[in-house]
Amino acid sequence: MIDSKSIQIILARQLASCIATPVLLVDAQNALIYYNEPAEAIFNQRFDETGEMPASEWTSRFTAVDDDRNPIPPKDRPMGRVLAECAPVSRTMWMRVSGGDWRHLNVTAFPLVGEKGQLFGAMSIFWAI
Amino acid sequence: MNVTLWGTRGSLATPGAATARYGGNTSCVGVTGRDGTVLVLDAGTGIRGMGATIAASACRVDILLTHLHMDHIQGLGFFAPLFRPDLEVHIWGPVSSHISLRERLMRYLSPPLFPVSLRELPCMITLHEVPCGDVAIGEFRVTSALVCHPGPTVGYRIADTLGSVLTYLPDHEPALGSPVFPSLPLAWTSGGGLAAGANLLIHDSQYSAAEYPSHVGWGHSSFKDALAFATLSGVKHLVPFHHDPSHTDTDIDRMMKEAMAEMTPACRVTTALEGATFQI
Repeated sequence: MIDSKSIQIILARQLASCIATPVLLVDAQNALIYYNEPAEAIFNQRFDETGEMPASEWTSRFTAVDDDRNPIPPKDRPMGRVLAECAPVSRTMWMRVSGGDWRHLNVTAFPLVGEKGQLFGAMSIFWAI
Repeated sequence: MNVTLWGTRGSLATPGAATARYGGNTSCVGVTGRDGTVLVLDAGTGIRGMGATIAASACRVDILLTHLHMDHIQGLGFFAPLFRPDLEVHIWGPVSSHISLRERLMRYLSPPLFPVSLRELPCMITLHEVPCGDVAIGEFRVTSALVCHPGPTVGYRIADTLGSVLTYLPDHEPALGSPVFPSLPLAWTSGGGLAAGANLLIHDSQYSAAEYPSHVGWGHSSFKDALAFATLSGVKHLVPFHHDPSHTDTDIDRMMKEAMAEMTPACRVTTALEGATFQI
């Protein structure tokens, strides 16, 4: 038997792939497992080129600062907080990917919790301000 | 293991001359192991016939429900072994986020829908909520996982001690949200982990390719998508299952022929026929 994704994660990706809202998905270990085409346009980075990335890799490749340009450590970014607190998080932040242009974003992230309370990961929706 | 199809129809029992060959009873599959372990996959109307075959010497039967839609539980109250006080009956089924399996089953197994309440059945019933990881049931290892179908629905992967695997996905729409299916790797496909490399895959094939676009999101697959899923999963033998109640035997023959002509699957394909048996 292969190690497949949970149906909650599969359906989240399918939803993300069908909507115009930028979406980013992480698993319960904060590994980046998907971002959709509208997100690719903001990041100027195609998912097919990067593929899935462990937390350490994507949080260093995706640089985040607050509105005063202070760096935001991974644990304080929306996805890190959602996974730690298992509760929705919403904030503004500046982000750039692999040294590209800074983008000012409004981010809302929320946990993906199963029927028995298991945490499968988190989804964030975001848009440029 | 021996696998017998006791009910192959989806949605609604459909008796009559036009459906006599593929069968009119709703979903039920019997699995018997070399050491006598008996599994019943779903409790559609086909379970009544299977009940008559349970040996008087049997002391335990496990009923594995994929979900609680009527076509998968309607026969439960007519499964004669439930009325044997000496028999252990274990019922496995999915929970919802707020209502237990017992409460959900009792919505059907209680008056006015059924004259006997679940708690009044003479057999020794134990309920198990799934998915719950890998479990041993007699000589089988059973794995369950939620799959794409409206409401909490699981599929089952049943492995015997020799490594043979049966995967049961009677109500499953892995193509939902995919403009061209399959477009993603198996790990990203609903049911992929359950079906990978199975010796026998019993899979939803309710619609023709022409019918599917007007039924997207209903939780079922076309023949064509069932073949594509089987190919992606690397199964050895596919049994298209859960026939639509509006399809006659002639319709099913035609749909199968059309899908096979288009797909040329790598695995063996045998359309589900009530009464058919498979040894794997």
